[in-house]
Amino acid sequence: MSTMTETRAPARTGAEPRRGRRPRLPYLLLIPAVAVLLLGMGYPVYWQVITSLQQYGLAQQFGQPPEFVGLTNYSAILTDGYFWTVALRSVVFCLVNAFVTVAIGVGVALLMRAVPTVVRIILQVGLLVAWAMPLVAAVTVWKWLFDWRTGVVNWLLTQLGASGFDGHNWLAQPLSFFLVATVIIVWMSVPFVALSVYAALTQVPDEVLEAATIDGAGPTKIFRWIIVPMIRPVLSIVLLLQIIWDLRVFAQIRLLQDSGAPVRETNLLGNYIYELGIGRQDFASAAAVSILVLALTIAVSWPYVRSLLAEDRS
Amino acid sequence: MKILRSAAFALAGVTLLAACSSTTPEASDSTSTDGGSSAAEGAEITMWVAGGDTPQALRDYLISTFAEENPGSTLVIEEQAWGDLVTKLTTALPDAENTPDVVEIGNTQSPTFTTVGAFADISDMYEELGGDKLLQSFVDVGMVDGKNYALPYYFGSRYMFYRKDIWDAAGLTAPTTLSEFSDDVKQLRTDSMSGFAMGGQDWRNGISWVFANGGELATEDGGTWTSTLSDPNTIKGLEMWQDIYQNASNLPSTERDVAYWDFLNDAADGGAPEAATIMAPGWARWSIGDLTTNDAGDEVRDGMADDSKYDIFALPGVDGGVAPVFAGGSNLAISAASQHQDLARNLLTIIYSPEYQQMLGENGLGPANSDYVSSLGDDKFAQTMIETAAASKLTPAAPGWAAIEAAFVYEDLFQKIAEGGDVTALAAQYDETLTPMLNGQG
Repeated sequence: MSTMTETRAPARTGAEPRRGRRPRLPYLLLIPAVAVLLLGMGYPVYWQVITSLQQYGLAQQFGQPPEFVGLTNYSAILTDGYFWTVALRSVVFCLVNAFVTVAIGVGVALLMRAVPTVVRIILQVGLLVAWAMPLVAAVTVWKWLFDWRTGVVNWLLTQLGASGFDGHNWLAQPLSFFLVATVIIVWMSVPFVALSVYAALTQVPDEVLEAATIDGAGPTKIFRWIIVPMIRPVLSIVLLLQIIWDLRVFAQIRLLQDSGAPVRETNLLGNYIYELGIGRQDFASAAAVSILVLALTIAVSWPYVRSLLAEDRS
Repeated sequence: MKILRSAAFALAGVTLLAACSSTTPEASDSTSTDGGSSAAEGAEITMWVAGGDTPQALRDYLISTFAEENPGSTLVIEEQAWGDLVTKLTTALPDAENTPDVVEIGNTQSPTFTTVGAFADISDMYEELGGDKLLQSFVDVGMVDGKNYALPYYFGSRYMFYRKDIWDAAGLTAPTTLSEFSDDVKQLRTDSMSGFAMGGQDWRNGISWVFANGGELATEDGGTWTSTLSDPNTIKGLEMWQDIYQNASNLPSTERDVAYWDFLNDAADGGAPEAATIMAPGWARWSIGDLTTNDAGDEVRDGMADDSKYDIFALPGVDGGVAPVFAGGSNLAISAASQHQDLARNLLTIIYSPEYQQMLGENGLGPANSDYVSSLGDDKFAQTMIETAAASKLTPAAPGWAAIEAAFVYEDLFQKIAEGGDVTALAAQYDETLTPMLNGQG
């Protein structure tokens, strides 16, 4: 078998370059990358779509032929109020986190520009260390900080004279649960935003800022009318990435839930998919929700991507 | 790679042949010589144990005995974490190339897999491995349509650990009825100490109150499961638990996996403990007591050596006696996709042998075969464990049980009850959620 293809192959490659046009090479070079992408991403997506149209549970995993059920899984999910609750909760949580992260990140970047070099380097190292911290370790530390019995946060608040925080359980109520989750996620994402925006700020020419100062513009005006427009492309892409990342947040919530929380009232989309697929072994519904989340991600980020493309063209 | 793979296929072929041959009558009476040696050709079988419950000495015994009785074959024991056991089994069991041959599985997780045909039918070995002597509630949970797919491995039980010094100082003695227990622990509670430490989401301990009042979580009729939270007895139990949580425990309503034993020990600075009473599995004993130094020079708890300070009792029943508690423990099963059915069966023979059953008991694990329960010892810990295990109950053997655990449904229910919710209304609401889930729908 292999000898046959070997003998044929040289003949073809020998013939083609003469007939073919030159620009074929770039496409040929693209093949490996596209093949890997199709294999790595295409197949799972294909499997997701197929599975979401079947009845596929543990019995099917153990060899029973799956039954094709069309859009039944989707209609079941879309008519289930719980899905909409989780979806809305996820979108709100994602937007709040993304904007808070970018706001704080820009603030830190401006701070880095304003402070002397030594302080800036300390800041940058601090940011990098926070960013490099493994997720599970970071969440564990935060969990200990907010622990109801031995946590530093409760102790500190009590020392400061706030009453009612001795033994206060932050994870018991959904709202304060998400407050803690937001603190953790923002803490983990600010370094990326701050460093990216800081890099963009270094590209803002000093002469422009000087000219603005001479023209009598105050710091707010300079920021609003000069810096923001100049670093807009970076801000846009960073915000888009944050939105996408925060929409698929999973591990932080799961780890917090593990230490005792009202699970049903704190599930985000990622956790809901995990519960359906890994927990209940209802792989079909999990696949259907995943496809819906993919659609949601595209819907949330589409206006953004379009304006990015428009900016690119102009 | 290619060579390795064909070797593996050849091997699989050999064992398949062996498996066929062993069904002939002359093979069945001596599993170790015939079935073992012909399957031998270097076959390796894998056993998954869950968590660190099986001590190293017992693992070593299994490996060496298996090698002796099946010359040329080896047993590999791999430990899986309890947390992702179900996930790992879901992906590994259907895959003949990678499946473990023998698996340990939590007793309440068994129905999830037995009902989809993941395990091999071992009904023909049932009598040989112990028959009626095996712990029946565990046997039942591993049964589908009258056939045995999973058998008990070991059992644990839970009972009450208490601070005798504190109870004595309050003029209280070990209670004899469940309501007396409620009164005692409510009386013991202070702002800084729980009379009885119990997390609000801790339904695994909490359902003891349901069972004690004659209630059930769910019942089966003709293959259909129905959640029975609204049963008057179940409601009585849940209300009794609500009362005890609200008036005797200082723990948050969201706590579920609590290291209760920490609460019973003196505080780090030698101060008063945070709880006067806790409910925990028997092995919690080794995390309780005064600090002492072991042979290796590490600081450890002395296992409740001071019996004027620490003591135990079984949770009393409504009318005295012992309340049924939720039994912990594991089952064992052979993967249906295993290519070494015969060797896997040989391993089960070793596990259910008198020697191994004896070793389980000596290591504090309740042996599956009741003939060897005495090996647990005869001190109060062993006696209380045997007594509570005899009265213990299991959660429903419904196909959707693992899904319910994964969705934290009972955690949510118990939290709402702990927070003072109306038990009757919550029971009706959760019955509606749970019934389809029990039957594996939704």
